[in-house]
Parts: sequence; C-alpha cells; structure tokens
Amino acid sequence: MPSFVSQMTVRASAPSGWVGMWAAVVCAAVVAAGCGRSEKGRLVAEPEAPATPATTAEARPSVPAEAAFEPPPLEALDRDATWIDRPVKDALAVLREQQAKEPVLGTVAEALALKNDSATANATILSALGRLPEEGQADLEARIDRHVAGDLGSTNPILISSSAEFDILGLTGFGLFSYDRTLEPFANAETVVSWQTSADGLYDKVVMRDDLVWSDGRPITAHDIAFTYRVIMDPRVPVPAVRSGTDQMKGVHAYDDRTVVFFHKEPLATNVWNINFPVLPKHVYEGTWEKDPTLKDSPEHVALEEKPVAGGPYEILSRKRGQEIVLRRRESWSRVNDRLVREQPYFKDIRFRIIEDPNTALLALTSGEIDEMILQPEQWTTQTVDDNYDRLNTKATAPEWVSFHFAWNIGTPFFADRRVRRAMSYAFDHDRMLEKICLGLYEPCAGNFPPGSWMAGPKKLEPYKQDLDKAEALLDEAGWTDHDNDGIRDKDIDGRLVPFEFTLLVNQHPFRIAICTLLKENLEQIGVIANVRPVEVTALQEMMQKKSFQACFSGWGSGTDPDSSENIWKTGEMRNYCGYSNPEVDRLFAEGRRELDRSRRAEKYARIQEILYEDQPYTWLFWRNSFYGFSKSLRGYAFSPRGPYHYSPGSGSLWKPRAE
Amino acid sequence: MATYLVRRLLQGCVTLVAITVVVYALARAMPGNPLTAQLGEDPSRKVSAADYERMQRAYGLDKSWPEGYLQWAGNLFRGDLGRSITRKQPVTRLIGDRLGPTLLVSGTAFLLIWTLAIPLGLYASARSGTPDERGVSLVLYALYSFPTFVAALFLQILFSVWSKGTAWELPLFGMTDLPPDAPLAARVVDVARHMILPVVCQTYVSLAYDTRFIRATMAEAVRQDYIRTARAKGAGPWRVLFRHAFRNTLIPLVTLLGLSLPSLVGGSIIIEQIFTWPGMGRLFFESIRERDYPTIMGLTLMFSLLTLLGQLLADLLYSAVDPRVSVE
Amino acid sequence: MAAHGFWIEAWRRYRRRPLAMAALGFVGFLVTVAVLAPAIAGTKPVLCRYKGRLYAPCLAYFDRRFEPAIFAKDKFRGTYPKNLAEKDPESWAIWPLFFQDPFRAVRADEWPGRPENPSMDQGVPSRAHPFGTDQSGVDVLAKMVHGTTVALLVGFVSMGIAGTIGILVGAVGGYFGGWVDAVTSRVTEIVMCIPTLVLILAIVAIIEKPTIWHTMAIIGFTGWTGIARLTRGEFLRLKGAEYVTAARAAGAGPLRIMLRHILPNALAPILVPITFGIAAAILVESGLSFLGFGPPPPSASWGSILNGARSNLAMWWLVVFPGIAIFLTVLAYNLVGEGLQEATDPRLREARK
Repeated sequence: MPSFVSQMTVRASAPSGWVGMWAAVVCAAVVAAGCGRSEKGRLVAEPEAPATPATTAEARPSVPAEAAFEPPPLEALDRDATWIDRPVKDALAVLREQQAKEPVLGTVAEALALKNDSATANATILSALGRLPEEGQADLEARIDRHVAGDLGSTNPILISSSAEFDILGLTGFGLFSYDRTLEPFANAETVVSWQTSADGLYDKVVMRDDLVWSDGRPITAHDIAFTYRVIMDPRVPVPAVRSGTDQMKGVHAYDDRTVVFFHKEPLATNVWNINFPVLPKHVYEGTWEKDPTLKDSPEHVALEEKPVAGGPYEILSRKRGQEIVLRRRESWSRVNDRLVREQPYFKDIRFRIIEDPNTALLALTSGEIDEMILQPEQWTTQTVDDNYDRLNTKATAPEWVSFHFAWNIGTPFFADRRVRRAMSYAFDHDRMLEKICLGLYEPCAGNFPPGSWMAGPKKLEPYKQDLDKAEALLDEAGWTDHDNDGIRDKDIDGRLVPFEFTLLVNQHPFRIAICTLLKENLEQIGVIANVRPVEVTALQEMMQKKSFQACFSGWGSGTDPDSSENIWKTGEMRNYCGYSNPEVDRLFAEGRRELDRSRRAEKYARIQEILYEDQPYTWLFWRNSFYGFSKSLRGYAFSPRGPYHYSPGSGSLWKPRAE
Repeated sequence: MATYLVRRLLQGCVTLVAITVVVYALARAMPGNPLTAQLGEDPSRKVSAADYERMQRAYGLDKSWPEGYLQWAGNLFRGDLGRSITRKQPVTRLIGDRLGPTLLVSGTAFLLIWTLAIPLGLYASARSGTPDERGVSLVLYALYSFPTFVAALFLQILFSVWSKGTAWELPLFGMTDLPPDAPLAARVVDVARHMILPVVCQTYVSLAYDTRFIRATMAEAVRQDYIRTARAKGAGPWRVLFRHAFRNTLIPLVTLLGLSLPSLVGGSIIIEQIFTWPGMGRLFFESIRERDYPTIMGLTLMFSLLTLLGQLLADLLYSAVDPRVSVE
Repeated sequence: MAAHGFWIEAWRRYRRRPLAMAALGFVGFLVTVAVLAPAIAGTKPVLCRYKGRLYAPCLAYFDRRFEPAIFAKDKFRGTYPKNLAEKDPESWAIWPLFFQDPFRAVRADEWPGRPENPSMDQGVPSRAHPFGTDQSGVDVLAKMVHGTTVALLVGFVSMGIAGTIGILVGAVGGYFGGWVDAVTSRVTEIVMCIPTLVLILAIVAIIEKPTIWHTMAIIGFTGWTGIARLTRGEFLRLKGAEYVTAARAAGAGPLRIMLRHILPNALAPILVPITFGIAAAILVESGLSFLGFGPPPPSASWGSILNGARSNLAMWWLVVFPGIAIFLTVLAYNLVGEGLQEATDPRLREARK
C-alpha cells in the first residue's frame, strides 16, 4: 500500500507551505565587459514555518546519550506501567473512510469537463477526481512525473532539510508514525503491530511487524530505531535539526527485534510528535558513522549518498544531478517470502523532474511532460484558464495553514508601543491587498492559529480593516506627531527628534514586494515613511535572527501542534524575531504543553491568540491557499491543511486509471 | 621569452593568492552562513543555541576568516578542494559534473557567435553607412535589447508546445531524456536536440555586441595610411579588408577573446535556469545563495585560473599578431 | 588653446553626420523628459494656489522633502484633485499632462469621473493607458517617463566611472609597460575575478540604506576591467607608431601623448563596451534593485517594468514598451559613439583639411 507519508514532516509546518514559494525570482546582476544582462535565479522561500514543539525552559543536557541512560528491564516496565492502546491505522483506509462520508458532487467525466473557475467547480473536481481507486481501477504499472523545484542536497534521512528532500525521502524512508488529513497522529499499520502509551505519559511502547526489510534484504528491526536515536543525539553528528524533539526523550531502547520503548523526560502533549524521527539502517552505518560522524565525508558515506539503502515503499533507481530523480517501487516492501504482506503502491515509478523556472514548469505541465506542479497565484488566475491548458490538465485549490504578516521589531523606538503597532494594522489597506494583489484567492488572517482549527478556539477574531483616522489618532496618542512641520511624523526620543522612517525588509518576490509597496503607499498618506527593501533570502534570515531589522514581511506555516508556535512568541526564543515578551503568553505555552486534555489545552491557545491580537506584534495579513495543477490522467488528490502530499497517505493516494 | 613566462607565472601565483583571499573574505562577509540557509530551509525544526554552535564547529565556521582561508589554502596545497557543505559532495566532483554541460552550450555558442560575428562585422564595415548595413545593425541592436527570458520562453512555446508532434519539435528543458545505457549515437542526437534552444538564446544576445566591435575596429583599420595606399593601387574593398585591414584589428579581437575565455565555463544563470541545464552558472548561483564556501572558492579558483590564462594568452598573441608589440 | 580648438573642430565634424545628430537629439529628448518628468506624468499639481499661497507639489517627485507640509497637515493623504476643491474652493492648479502616478495605481474617482486603474492582465494598453498598466495597476507610461532619469543617470554615471578607471588604468599600463604594466594588469585581473554577486551581497550587509548612487558605484567599479584590457592592448600597439615617436621627439609629455595622440586612435574598440554598457546598466540596475541594492521599490525604472513581465508574459506590454525604449537607447548611444569616434579621428581631420 502506498500510503507512506513522509514521517519527516510530521512536526510543525509542512514543506508544502514553502514549496510554493520556490519560484521566488531573483535577479543577479552580472556585469560583463559592456554586456551586462540581468540574470534570474531561483531562491528558496524564506523560512515560513515555525518550529518544533517543546523547547522547555528547563536545562537540557546536550548529551543525553543512551550511555547515561539505563533502561529498566521490560518485565519491570510492564509491571509498573498501565499501558493504554493508541491507534494503529492504515492510512489509505482512513482516507477511504473519510471520503465515503463526503457527498459525491459529480462524476469523473463531469469533473474532467469542468474549468476550475469557481468554488463549486473546485469542490466538484476535488470530490470526483480526488477519490481513491476501487479494486482493480488503478494502473499499477503507471509512472507519475512529479515536479520539484530543486535538487537534493542529501539522501541521508537524518541530514535532510529541503522540500525536495522531504518529498523524496517521504517515499524512500522508513517510519513508524504518521498523521492523517486532519493532522491526527497514529501508528502506521504497514510497519507497526501495536503502539501503547503508559498512563503516566512517560513511556511509549511499539511492537513492530516482523515482515519488514531494507532494500538490501536485511530485516528492519527495533535496533535500527534505537541506533538512529543514538546517532542523532551524538554531539559529533551535525544533524541540522532532527534533534529537536528527540532531545525531549531520556532514551530509546530496543528490547528485542520488534519491541522498542521510547522513554520521555516529562509527560507532554507533544511527546507524540517527539517519537517520530527518521530511521537509519543500523547494519549499514554501524561500522562507519563513528569514523566519519559528518556522515558524508568518507568514501563509504559518499557511496551511500549515491545509492542509499531504502526502508520505505520506494527506492532510488537513478539520479541525474540537476535534472531528475527516478524512484522505483520496491517489491520487497509489499512481498516478503513470496507472500503479499502490504498493498502495492499505485505507481511503479515516480520520476521527479527538476525544473527551477516556474514558466518552464507550466509549459511542461501544459505539454504533458509532468503530471503535477504547484501553481503560482498569478498562474492560477491568468495562465491556466485557456483551452490549451485544459486539454491535458485540470487544477485544484484548498486552504492551507500558511499565513503571512508584517512583523514589527519591538526593540526599535518605533514599534515598542502597542498603539503604534495597532496604528500600522489600521493604516494598511487590507481589502485592496486581498482583492488586487491576492486576486481574491485568499482569506484574511487575524491571528496566529488557523480559524476553524481546534487550537484557534471558538471566538472568531475580527481581521483589521483600514481606518486611516483611527491610525492617525493612535499615532498622535503615542506621541508621533509632526513637530518640525516637514510633513513627516516624529517624536522626541532622548532629546533628539526622530522622524518616523523605517525600513521594511522583504524577500525578493514580486508578489511580496507588491504588498510591502502598498503598505508604503498607505503609510505615506499619514506621514510615515516606510522604505521597502528586498533582500536575498539568506541575508534576510540572518538579519531577522540577529534582530537587525525594523519591520519585515514574512510568513509561517502553522504546525500540527500549537506548541510549535512557542518559539515564535516565547520570550528570548530563536524565532521570536520581534522580540515579543509577555509573561502570560510564556506561561500559557508551558501549561499548554503539559495539559493532556485537548479541550482544556485549546482554551490556553485561544487565550494566547487573543493576547497576541491585542498586542499586534504582527500585522496579520492573509492565509494562503495551495494551488496545484494536475494532469487529467491523475486521480486521488486530497488536500490537508498542508497540501495534498504532506500527510498520510498524501502522495501515496495518487493514482492513474487503467486504460479502458 | 622563457624568463617572461616564468615571471608571468610567478606573478600569476601571487595574483591567485590575492584573488582567493579577497573572495574568501567577501564570501565570509556575506550575511549568513551555510547553516543559516539550511535552518531557513527547514521550517519544522528548530536548532538550539548549543546545537548551532556544535554544527558551526563541525564545519569550521566558528573560525575567523583568515584562519578559515589558511585552512582552505592548506588543503588546496595538498590537492584537496574540500567538500560542499550543503551538497555533501566533494567540490571537484560537483564542478566535474557541471563542467561538461556548460562547455557544451557555451562552447557551441562561442563558435557560433564568432563564425557569425566576423563575417557580419566585415560585411558591416565594408558596406558601412549603406542602407543594408544600417538594416542589419538595427536588427542586431533590436536582438540585443530583447530580454533573454522573453526570447527563451517564446522559443519554448514555439518549438516545444506549438510544434509538438511535428518535425520541428524540440525538447522543452533538460539535457537528455535517455537513460545512460542508451546507444551513444542516440544519446548524442538527443543531447544535441536539447542544446539547440539554449545555444540560440546564448548566441543572439552577444551577436550585436561582437559584430559592432568588429566593425568598429575594422573601420579604424580601414583608415590607416597603408590601406589608403592599397586602395589607391586599385584593390577592391573586400580584398583590402581581408588582406590588409583584418590583420590590424587582431589586437582588440585577441583581447576580447582573452576576456571571454572564463565565460566559456561560467555558463549563464538565466539560460541554465530556464532550460534546467545542469551547468556551472546554476551551481555558482546556488552555492552563493546557500553560502557554500567550499564550492564558491572552488569555482572562483577555476574562473581565476582561466582568467589569468586568458590574459597570458592574449599577451603572448599580441606580439605574434603585431610585431611592433613586444611582451618583454 | 589647442585642446579648445580640437573639441570645436570635433563638434563641427560631428554636426555633419545626420544620424549621429539625430541620436544626440534623442538623448537630448530623454534628458528633457527626465527633467520634466513630474510635469509630464504625475498626480501632484505642477503649480497650485491653496489657501492664498502658491505651491509646486510636483517637485516631491524629485525629493520627498519638497512636498509642502501643509498638505500633510490638511490630511490630503496623497490625493490632490478632490481635496484641493473641497478644502479650498478658491484654489486652482496646473496639472501634469498625464494624470497618472509612476509609483502607485490611481484609485477610482481620484480624478473626478475616472475609473480605477486596471491591474494584472486587465491592464492592456488603452486610450487611458497608452502603454498599459502593470500587475499592481501602475501606469506603464508614467513609470517609463519617471524611469528616464534612472536610465540616463545610471548609464552615464556608472559607465563614466568604469570608462574613466578603465581608460586610465589601461593607458598607463600599456604606455609605460614594465613594472607599471605588471601592477595594473594584476590589479585588473583581481577585480575581474571577483564575483559581482558575492561582492554585492557582502556590501548589502554593510550599507543600511542603499541608494541609486550605490548602484551606480557598484556597476562602475566592477565594470571597468574589460575597458582597461582593451585600452591597454591598443596602447601597446600604438605606442610604437611613427606619429607617437614623432610627438615624443618634439618634446611632448607622456600625458599629452597618451591623451592627444594615442587615445583618439585607440578609441574605436573602447567605445563599444562603453556605449553598450550605458544601455546595459539599465538592466543591471533593475537586477541590483531586486537584490536589495538600489532605490527602494516602488522604483520607476525601465528594467523593473521588464522584471514584472517575468512572471506573466501574457502581459506583453510590459516587455514591448521598455524593450523599445532600451533598443532606442542602445541604438542612440551607439550612433553617438560612432559619431564621436569619427569626429575625433585625427587622420580624418587631417584629410579633410
């Protein structure tokens, strides 16, 4: 069964949030003798998503290694703990069940004939074409040509970080856990027999299936999981960030080939995400990793980068650098000892074609060379509406948990005052942005958590509307008036008249620049000068981390767990670029993580959201949708709040019908 | 001659050191480091301050730039260009992978440009001031002002979308559609077909510049006294151009050729991007964006070597094409 | 006195070339457009009388500080026509020829009875917008009129810098040779090898508020190497020429020989990169702005209009009009360059006499 989701993306924001922005266009100028031409390149999207759960204020030992941790015997554990069964599910079955409850809005033929130009058309297309196949309906020999905007950096599951890597390792990697379309976590029935959590929340026990093999034929066992944990936590291994989460555990121990227990430091609501990390084949890395803890320098590791040992339903068949990666279905995934033990994934081959330029990618989709791609909003409204596009393709959209905002640096004299930040929110012409720049495709955003999600709470926050009089009144109140009669507001700060002129940083993306330019125009009307400054993405990231900015346009993807927002808002956290500090918010986050009851947890996060709304450290702007172009030969795309791929079954639910 | 060469090579070494020091310092001065970019790319995970420091140490980013440079230079001395931080591959491999495709496109474009520009330039100077010359020049200037990204997309639509299924169809992007085990002849044809559009895009822009350049230098040469003498003796315009004037334009031409040597392996970011061509331009651009210092330095070293070589060759050719110039 | 005569003579000869004169006329036209831009296209009155006093708010297009504070005090919020009439019925104003703003979309009824500017692919050229409007609804014609300043300034200043450094370095190296040449050549090589993008990003970290002048400096200080190499090659070739030897024998100093005797003969190949460079700088400028290195957006430059077309070529007018402008500029500069070269050619001068 192909329902293997990237276990890597479980935490916090999905890559889908930022894949759409790979298309950011940069101009690099190259001045040659007399014939300088502007050059264009791809930029990665700026970091848009928070953060991982659970960074407690408590001191964490940086080397919690297993050496220091003595696991109790299993008998003792079983005797002392009261085990509660947790869900073990088949992701495809879950999706099938969910879809069975949805009304059928049209037939496949009707949906294929539709142009996606209205909400009804979109719903019909999703309803009719998004279904999973009936028995025998899918062409199991088919190949899908998917689009990625960039090449892989690494194929090692614990070193991955980019969107393309998530996409591919989600198909080739091995994992025990997943989450469904509504972001509810479960253990994967394809790999797990049972999953239990102790009543005190301190242990998770998983019994794995015994019919799992790596692509080199060796069995996948509980020892691989314990081994991987040890490697991840070793201080010499430069894993970028997989460690956050695993570092909330005391240890991971394999009691036999099939039984693995995760030991937590504290009973946290977020532990369910912490036990989910990528898995390395122990027999492959055991002898090599300590000699080369970078995992990529030694000849053995270089060779492994080329041909990694896969534990998931697919393995890498071939790779042309900078051009394509072809995955082949692994027979040993579904068939062990000539017995069908798991359903076959729907595609025999998955070919990822690397196309950086969004225009080229759209042409490739139009001419049938690729089967799917993420569309830019502008492509959605203007370039995918003609018959030429319709010949082979359709498209679909769904809300996504990705929001954008202006962030105000509270450490600057301008934005320390809450009234000024609120004045900014009032000054901005939200309606014009939504209508003219976002082309009416996005919903306004008023706060941190997605409306309708459990963490947002029942109370709906009213999005800000432009009100220049109110903005001016608030600025006057805060002492920003035009003292020196030059048409620009200013304020006496420590005996010096400071004009209200600040720099607004933004990633060089035409769409984002347009939004910033609108703010500039609005502020100019009330005597405030904003200088919009597009900055290359890495530089922007650096400036934000160092807080050397005044205001900035950016976005976040909301995590599967609200706790992942903590490192945006808690005092002193790394992603708290604004320098926001509110003891009550800090306390609520800490409590929320320890609260195991969901409805009581939800109250805490709803309260946080209200406080943030009052304080306006951000001017929240809009929730972005995901837009996808799909070949008409493709079926089975169902959208989650993180796009059609990054959940379980996600990309595993896609299929192509058998030729009639 | 030999002493000159030795002296130039010694100077070249010093220059190379100077270039690499400057570029290394500049690269390290760019805001952010390879980890910033990686952290930026990975939204879902946060790195604690301790982990961040540990990773910086693992990659040697905690050292000051002079230390980092010395380490890089030391490794280079031992013949090791280092490994890419973001791509987990030796830099020499990365460059090796990309060099061929880039040379293929820019080499072809280079030949094409000069085989077109020289006759066009000669034609333009022979017919200087006539309406047909003005017409040709106008077309070339118009081409020059036509942005590459528009031209590329236009050609893609024309040859890959509209011509689909006809004899005119050309591949939309990429370098080859065939597996590596396909027969050689088929692969050659396939790559050649993929090359056509990128080569055209790279050629047409430079054509105006180079033609104009040749015409300017020819016009200059034509006015020399001995040309007038030759003309007075009754030699036809083409004969005058070829036999007498062309030789005299060689110095600026040689200079221009020397200048364009490094651009042969430089590749064009914009064209490689649009056609998804796995070349050096994209590699360089990405390594700068990712702050991948080892790759930036490896590429800089290669460009610099070629630049210095190009300059040296030009200087040597000067005295060969014009006896009045002495290299000593 | 001699130098004076030389340039007068050159000008006289330049004037005899109709195409070169036409090209110069075009450049003059661009200068006029650049200077008068706020009076040609804009939304601020060229001159107005308000509450008994005269103001010229259009000057704010040159520098924000020229905007009279009274309009901010009276909450005009950037829209003049309505507010003038409402807040002072006695007021009058002289409006720019074309009521459109280069930096923002004009809203509905801003000019009584006029609809809002169309945006995205609705902005096809029409009677109200001869060159169309861009994605945000900004009028392309207004943008191009105001962009002329940038196009001229960037081209001339940056290539002025590059030309001066390039010719100087190349001439000195080529003329004196020996260790001087070794030093200048090596410096040229070093600058040649520094990747511009790395340099720019390194500078981005240092400069807080980049302006158009920084852009020009960057283009100028990195773009001179080719010119230097060409100049040096020509000087190497020409320093042994008979007329140079003769001039030296006649006691002319090195500076005079370089400038008066060699340079005019060496000008032909050198003028090519300079003339092309002036036009190319327009494109480079927009690339640099996009990297965070230039005037803050919304910038009204020709290159930035072209950039807007990247994401949507269906908006062909974003390519065609700035494309034509750049084409004409390349053409004009080249013709001026040719004329200049002929006009200063010493041999032709002798011949005509």
